[in-house]
Amino acid sequence: MAVLFPSIEWAEEYKKQINSSEGYKKAAATWTAGPVVLVISAKPEIGLNEDWATWLDLHQGVCREAKRVSLEEAQKAPFCITADYARWKQVIKKELEPVKGMMQGKLKLKGDLPTIVRYTKASQELVECSTRIDLKFLDG
Amino acid sequence: MPRCSVAGLDFRIIPAGFNAPLEFLTGFTIREEDGTMPYDAELNFVFWSPTKIIFGENTALHVAMEVEGLKCKKALIVTDGDLVRNTDLPSKIKKALGNLCVGIFSDVEPDSGIHIVNQGAKHGAELGADCIVSVGGGSAIDTAKGIAILLKEGGKLQDYVGFQVLTRPQTPHIVIPTTAGTGSEVTYVAVIKDHEAGRKLIFGDNNIVPNVAILDPKMTEGLPQGLTAATGMDALSHAIEALHSLQREPIADGIALHAIRLIKEFLPKAVDHGKDMMARGQMLIAASMAGIAFSNSQLGMVHALAHSVGAKFKVHHGLANSILLPPCIRYNADACGDAYLDILSAMGVDIRGISPDEAGDLLADKIIEFTKRLGLPQRLRDVGVPEAELKECIELALSDAAIVYNPKDITDATEVLKVYQQTW
Repeated sequence: MAVLFPSIEWAEEYKKQINSSEGYKKAAATWTAGPVVLVISAKPEIGLNEDWATWLDLHQGVCREAKRVSLEEAQKAPFCITADYARWKQVIKKELEPVKGMMQGKLKLKGDLPTIVRYTKASQELVECSTRIDLKFLDG
Repeated sequence: MPRCSVAGLDFRIIPAGFNAPLEFLTGFTIREEDGTMPYDAELNFVFWSPTKIIFGENTALHVAMEVEGLKCKKALIVTDGDLVRNTDLPSKIKKALGNLCVGIFSDVEPDSGIHIVNQGAKHGAELGADCIVSVGGGSAIDTAKGIAILLKEGGKLQDYVGFQVLTRPQTPHIVIPTTAGTGSEVTYVAVIKDHEAGRKLIFGDNNIVPNVAILDPKMTEGLPQGLTAATGMDALSHAIEALHSLQREPIADGIALHAIRLIKEFLPKAVDHGKDMMARGQMLIAASMAGIAFSNSQLGMVHALAHSVGAKFKVHHGLANSILLPPCIRYNADACGDAYLDILSAMGVDIRGISPDEAGDLLADKIIEFTKRLGLPQRLRDVGVPEAELKECIELALSDAAIVYNPKDITDATEVLKVYQQTW
């Protein structure tokens, strides 16, 4: 059954997909830089009334936790990536490569870009994981 | 003349090697035999270059008009100590600003650090500065970009590390470059060192692009021969990397190709005759054009590898680029032969009869010939890089943002080492 993006169910399903990905496990085996938070900017016209932040506790190829957090908490993560809903859809549909998106200003990165660049392959694997989820989008 | 249309753009198809239309088209060759275009049907891009550029001898002396044009009244000059000690350039600008100048911050040093930015911002805030006039090379300009952030947002510079995190225009910033190479006067990036952590921090944000760049050849007149050559090669590297980047696009390409023509013609003249104001001026223009090109198209592995040897062994950035350009071009040759043919043509080579497969090697040779003519060192060992420590540069190079847009994927440490070794 399709899960709504974003939702608590989506975060849980995403964690499962990440932890069952051999590709991610290998590409991120040495990742110790800490959690990454994905923030979707509010868009009331599609029903997203406030910013939605998903905290991914990533460590050495494993997602230890995936949960919704407040925007205030999100800012405490070493890496906080923010974009509007349409951009995140582009990322999930593999129309926008995340690292290039950050450099083009389509995704806003708070955190150390070189660390992200070193793990470009891992970020691509994270996108792969997101494509494996049957999704229902807020805007259809 | 046959035409073709790609992605809604209309192009004339010109015979390979027929150079005349290059001057009035965007500058790249569309080969008749196979109709090859450097872009595919899915081309999409954003070109953005908001900096007002003022060019001409002694235009820096009219800086006060630009400050007033930005509705500012209290300008802080940001410059480096060497310029204050050894030239009269900062004092000339101070004089030109008159009552609009509230002070000079001259503690910038090569590889400027966040502690310097924090000091400069504190100084500026105490003086009530409402705009910045930076006078210097890349280090002074990047420091000023950092100060511009803190004067507007407050806090510490470390709070703003990242890409596109700022949400509003920053403190107005006018740049008067005293070198022709960095292009920082027109770019959205500042590189500032965290000396405590021993690494360079990158700030990339459209809100830190300077408002005005004043390109005054008189401001580069006294630049020594070696620095003129090295900074000029920085500009050439920007233009070449913009052309082989994965994000290349027609507008930036046209600008980069003309920058290459100018550098090929005027860099040797500026090196040989520092007082040649025509050559100095054209090099300033070329450096800004190359900056605009790479700010839109991004860079590639030359810069990634050069940043690393710069960070580890303090090799001048322009020199590192100059030395690493040829082996990186050879590495990328099979992925971007067409781009390299266009660059060869811009460098004055008759490309008739040269195939894209041959272009990379020929271009690498041409650049070596050019840098020898400029009297620049050719190998990493000549600039103090120890062979045994080349391995230490690999990790930094692979983490460098520039590598993302290299035309060929490069993620393997042994490949990076091989390129370093080739030019050691």
